[in-house]
Amino acid sequence: MIAELVLAMLFGLLLLGIHRKVIARIQRRPGPPVWQEILHAAKFSFKTTWVPATASGALFAGIVLVAVGIWTAAFFVMMTGGSLLIIFGIYMLHKIVEHAFGLSSGSPYGKFGGVRSVISAASEIPLFVSVAVIGLFTGSLELTEITAWEAVHGPLFFTAFPAVVAMYLVLLSKMPFGPFSIVESKELVSGYKTEHFGAWRAGLEVCNGLKTTVLLATFLLVFAGQLPVLWMVIGMILLTVSLSFACAVTPMLSPFDSVTIQSLVTALMLVYAGIVFTGVLP
Amino acid sequence: MGSLGGIPLYVLEFGDELVYFSPYTITLFLLALTFTLLAIVSRPERQVDVAFGGDAYTTKIISVDEMRFRRFMAIACGLASMGAMVTGDVFNFTLFTAMVGITNVGIVAAVKSPHVQDAAYQYGLVALSATVPLFGAAALYAAATGSLSMIELAKGTLPAVPLVAKALLVIGVVGEGMAPFYAAKAEMFRAPGAPYVIMCSLSSLLIFLRVAEVVMIG
Repeated sequence: MIAELVLAMLFGLLLLGIHRKVIARIQRRPGPPVWQEILHAAKFSFKTTWVPATASGALFAGIVLVAVGIWTAAFFVMMTGGSLLIIFGIYMLHKIVEHAFGLSSGSPYGKFGGVRSVISAASEIPLFVSVAVIGLFTGSLELTEITAWEAVHGPLFFTAFPAVVAMYLVLLSKMPFGPFSIVESKELVSGYKTEHFGAWRAGLEVCNGLKTTVLLATFLLVFAGQLPVLWMVIGMILLTVSLSFACAVTPMLSPFDSVTIQSLVTALMLVYAGIVFTGVLP
Repeated sequence: MGSLGGIPLYVLEFGDELVYFSPYTITLFLLALTFTLLAIVSRPERQVDVAFGGDAYTTKIISVDEMRFRRFMAIACGLASMGAMVTGDVFNFTLFTAMVGITNVGIVAAVKSPHVQDAAYQYGLVALSATVPLFGAAALYAAATGSLSMIELAKGTLPAVPLVAKALLVIGVVGEGMAPFYAAKAEMFRAPGAPYVIMCSLSSLLIFLRVAEVVMIG
């Protein structure tokens, strides 16, 4: 499992590199090489590492381990076909991790990045009503049972398309340089991660690589079913490119607009869930 | 039960009371435990504020007395969160959730800032009001099904839980746990004392995540 974990982390970082490259090419810039995020992680591992004098030391360092730990757990759950509820629970807990990253340093930039993270969590939590929709259709939230259901009834992509849109929005909100990336907006320097340098930032890069792989792979598993490894890889790259297009052509929203749009989608999803609930269940 | 948070790995019974560890509840429990330990060992940060229009900046320092009180409330909050994560009893879940609400008020109300205290007071009123639907939901669960045990409810042999009971439970949890998401009162979640404020956010999110499992049962 360790080899798979390292591969997943490297592949996630490669996807983030592809993401940056595609955005740059759409915006007519050369952009960094696709392996730039892998180089970043390696580079930060050997940089000088310190804890700011104003920081809450144990929390400042400990939160990096928590970030890597939760996404390692999510990867393990995904690989063993565990519960979708755990994976998306971890996704939401990542918001708290960002909050802790931001507040622990004492920096005003980190603090506002963390605050924005919590505000955006308020509008993203209800999006998980789409998880309930998946449960209503398949009768289970275990990934193995969901994929088994899809093998019989066909992909959920067609059966529960509004849930696909909502989950796509969740993915988009986690991609850097996107319309919802208010937590690391440039007016806050690097937002919640401004003060985390050296090995701490390398840990954060590892976490980002794992997070990207887990979220994209879970999206495909849930909505397209169990695919061969090669198709899974191709699907994740295509999904990344589509997200990059959305990020490249959409300006970053203000925090208010970001929350408003996510809340509107949530309202639509609640209506859809209500329809599914009355239509699917006797 | 097995189809939501995974098959229970271990069930501890005290008569009607149940404590169970499934992959889902154990994940949430371990996170509550980790952050509680971090709250115990961490000292608060010194928040830096830049003075508008100049190069000056100030740092906020938390007094030892304030730190001790808020650390105590953060630990109590962590314990309540851990209880809410592993309990297999709907009434116990509502009790732990109410305790999370009370401790969250304590964590932010101890900050020596009128803005934070005002926000804490308003949140306290919301949390207080939310106890009515919260405990009302537990009463409806018992009245409609004759059981408060999540494992019994998950078997599907009892009458279905009324939708209104589930709705009241969610409303109660939202009221108790809205501290970090109370966007109009950002003073609460940007207050100094990161290890304790984080406990506030974490506990709220954990009870949201747990109630998602609870309402899908029965």
